[in-house]
Amino acid sequence: MIDLKELILSKDNLYPLLRKLRKEARLIAPVKNEHGDTLFRPVGDRDTTDIDLENQPQESLKPFFLPQQETLAGYTINKGEYSFSPPPPALDTIFFGVRSCDLTALLYMDLIFSKPFKDATYFDRRNHSLIITLGCNQPFANCFCEATSSGPYLEYGYGLQFIDLGDRYYVSAGRGKGADLLNKWSYFFREVEEEDQNRRYQLFLEARGQFTRNIQVPHACRKLQQEPVAEAIWEKLSSRCYDCGGCAYVCPTCTCFSVDDKPQDNSSGIRVRSWDACTSSGFTRMTGGHNPVDRTRHALKRRFLHKLKHDFASHGKASCTGCGRCVDICFGGVDITTFIELFTQQEKP
Amino acid sequence: MTNSIGELVDADVLLITGSNTTETHPQIGRNILEAVDRGAKLLVIDPRKTDIARQADIHLALRPGTDIALINAMMRIILDEDLADDLFISMRTENFIALRDYLHRLDLDELARITEIDRATIHEAACTYARSSKSVICYCLGVTQHTCGTDNVQAVANLAMLTGNVEKKHSGVDPLRGQNNVQGACDMAALPAVLPGYQSLADLEVQKRFRDVWKHDIPTTPGKSLTEMTHSGKDGSIKAMFIMGENPALSDPHLNRVKTTLENLDFLAVSDIFLTETAQLADVVFPAASFAEKGGTITNSERRVQICRRAIPPIHNCRPDSHIIMDLGKRIGCPGMDFDSDAEIMEEISLLTPIYGGMHYDRLARNHGLQWPCLDRNHPGTEFLHKYYFARGKGRFTITRHQEPYEKTEKKYPFTLVTGRGSYHHYHTATMSRNSKRLVREYPLALLEINRADCEKLQLKDGETVELSSKRGTVRITTQITDRVKPGTVFSSFHFFEVPINELTVDAMDPKSKCPEFKVCAVQLKKVAHD
Repeated sequence: MIDLKELILSKDNLYPLLRKLRKEARLIAPVKNEHGDTLFRPVGDRDTTDIDLENQPQESLKPFFLPQQETLAGYTINKGEYSFSPPPPALDTIFFGVRSCDLTALLYMDLIFSKPFKDATYFDRRNHSLIITLGCNQPFANCFCEATSSGPYLEYGYGLQFIDLGDRYYVSAGRGKGADLLNKWSYFFREVEEEDQNRRYQLFLEARGQFTRNIQVPHACRKLQQEPVAEAIWEKLSSRCYDCGGCAYVCPTCTCFSVDDKPQDNSSGIRVRSWDACTSSGFTRMTGGHNPVDRTRHALKRRFLHKLKHDFASHGKASCTGCGRCVDICFGGVDITTFIELFTQQEKP
Repeated sequence: MTNSIGELVDADVLLITGSNTTETHPQIGRNILEAVDRGAKLLVIDPRKTDIARQADIHLALRPGTDIALINAMMRIILDEDLADDLFISMRTENFIALRDYLHRLDLDELARITEIDRATIHEAACTYARSSKSVICYCLGVTQHTCGTDNVQAVANLAMLTGNVEKKHSGVDPLRGQNNVQGACDMAALPAVLPGYQSLADLEVQKRFRDVWKHDIPTTPGKSLTEMTHSGKDGSIKAMFIMGENPALSDPHLNRVKTTLENLDFLAVSDIFLTETAQLADVVFPAASFAEKGGTITNSERRVQICRRAIPPIHNCRPDSHIIMDLGKRIGCPGMDFDSDAEIMEEISLLTPIYGGMHYDRLARNHGLQWPCLDRNHPGTEFLHKYYFARGKGRFTITRHQEPYEKTEKKYPFTLVTGRGSYHHYHTATMSRNSKRLVREYPLALLEINRADCEKLQLKDGETVELSSKRGTVRITTQITDRVKPGTVFSSFHFFEVPINELTVDAMDPKSKCPEFKVCAVQLKKVAHD
């Protein structure tokens, strides 16, 4: 019996391995579609050659665990009494080619959806999933995961972690299902040699040096514990927020949602959960019309403070994973990096 | 747009006039803000303190309807400061002397008084615009929806030519088109006096070409403009209408007249994706497929023709507009109405429309779209217009004179009402956006923007229902106290059928473009007595 913690997979064996995995479960990986967009999609039957490991997937894993819109339950009303039927069970799914930031986000969502009670649909999907990550040797244009301690390589949380060494992958197994998988398909792998370890170490160092953006996340988090943000910063940011919700929707850790009942006839319907955003004015507006959040001044306050101040205080870590997606999507150029830059330059009051 | 959208990022000065860009064109607004972040100067001409005006280095908050006076003042200052581009003027333009002499006769103090902007501010804006060789002007319906709309545009063109800010990258005059494909609709001659590609209806060669391909006679005299049609009333000049994807029963000015017209038609057919206010008046309604349920192309503000692919099959019995037209055409005996695919339709467009000459489907798919003019298969498309020469040869300066809006405020109607899109969350008559629960939650009801000083004078509270009337009609609307509008001016949108603001607007229109003056009418506000 060989040690299953770390092994080497020749790139020649990648697709043969994935083909086997696809028989065990639904296989989801970044796929480049005919319009040039790279999205997490089920890997099709014909072959696996359209898997795209070069570009950042446009969406994170969030839609697979907290879908944009999902049915929580069906309901029927009988003499004023509600009875509920559960949604269909989750499918066994293996995610391949997941970036470190997106897995870190999932670990954060595990925390959010486990307290004060375990969210049934979320954990049903989570328990039926295995995540295979791919460490980033070359960060993408807007990435800053080094600053959020969520990459470029990971130390825990994954089922398997792949590191691209050129003609081969350095594969590390996490606990549980990942190790089982290596054990089952051990004939595709070989043992790690010293040269592989050195190469991996070298690539890790190089990757850390290749970030184009220097975003001072830990500094901002600590400073937020000590001093307030100048009102002028909030106002400047708010004056350019158009309430599109784009940042929250692409964010892998934004988990705000609303629940609506959608009647299908007089006595039955479905209960639907859909994404929401704290940046929306309707999210905080009271029935009588009063809004405790003045959008013209504090549109983004809640979002940034939650990620960088409150989560840092409660978990010791910001809930921004540095994936950079909100930087691309913001119409006003007032994403989290703008905030961090403004705040870290703020003089002491 | 004479520019491409991407050029805006590297402009040094952006003059935005009559455009609430960040709310109505967020993608273009994003480019403008990026330019600002890179150090560009932002000048905004708008009576309202819109979000983009708040970002401006200089906000020229003019009195509604005084754009020409303001631009003339700017041009006069540019002449006085010797900032005109003499070489450009002599090489590329004509009739400059007439304009120069006219400008020299103007009194700057008088112009400042008309616009209600102080001279120093106008001076600074004029010099900022003229000193840069990468100055861009973006304009939208705040310029065109006036009785002097055509002259407003001419004034803007004069300003650009005077400073030579036209012929090159990062400088130009950019009308921002309001609907995703309104540029395409104009290109395809949804206009009264031209054939596709702005070819003159009066040109005998052009007429013959269309007759040969369509195997059918074509009308050779211009048709009517939209407002002429919807305001023809009971005069019987129009017997039937086929309205596609347009909601004039809410969007056109002086709505009572529109209703009279539509109700007196012998026959009205409407094709739309929802049962709009207009469709409710129709004899026949065609349920049309939405953008997601059909293929085709969309032409955006930068003249880029892009393929829009079908995402889902049409729901129930909806059909793409092209299929509805083809079936109708066949039944009224129109030849050639048998296109098998969108690509085949595009081939006929390429055949008959020189500026679309090289826009075949396979090229559009490969190139992320192409910008017209694109004359043949090998033509790369055109990034910016008017390089080396204007479409008409030399650019002609035309004198534009200030004229007061059609309707003046008076004792009984002391407020100026400006209308436009009110929110990022709703689109025009909200036919589509009000079907989204989330968008409705974000912007649930029609609001009347009013300055605090006016509210205090009238003893109105924020969120109070008031009666808003003009000589033509009355609506009830909720107040929103804001500094976006100056005292004496109020603003509202035309999104909500419950508050049909166009019952109030005037139907006076620009004599050339026939565009109605949605931007100015005189109104009064009255407190509503509580029941």
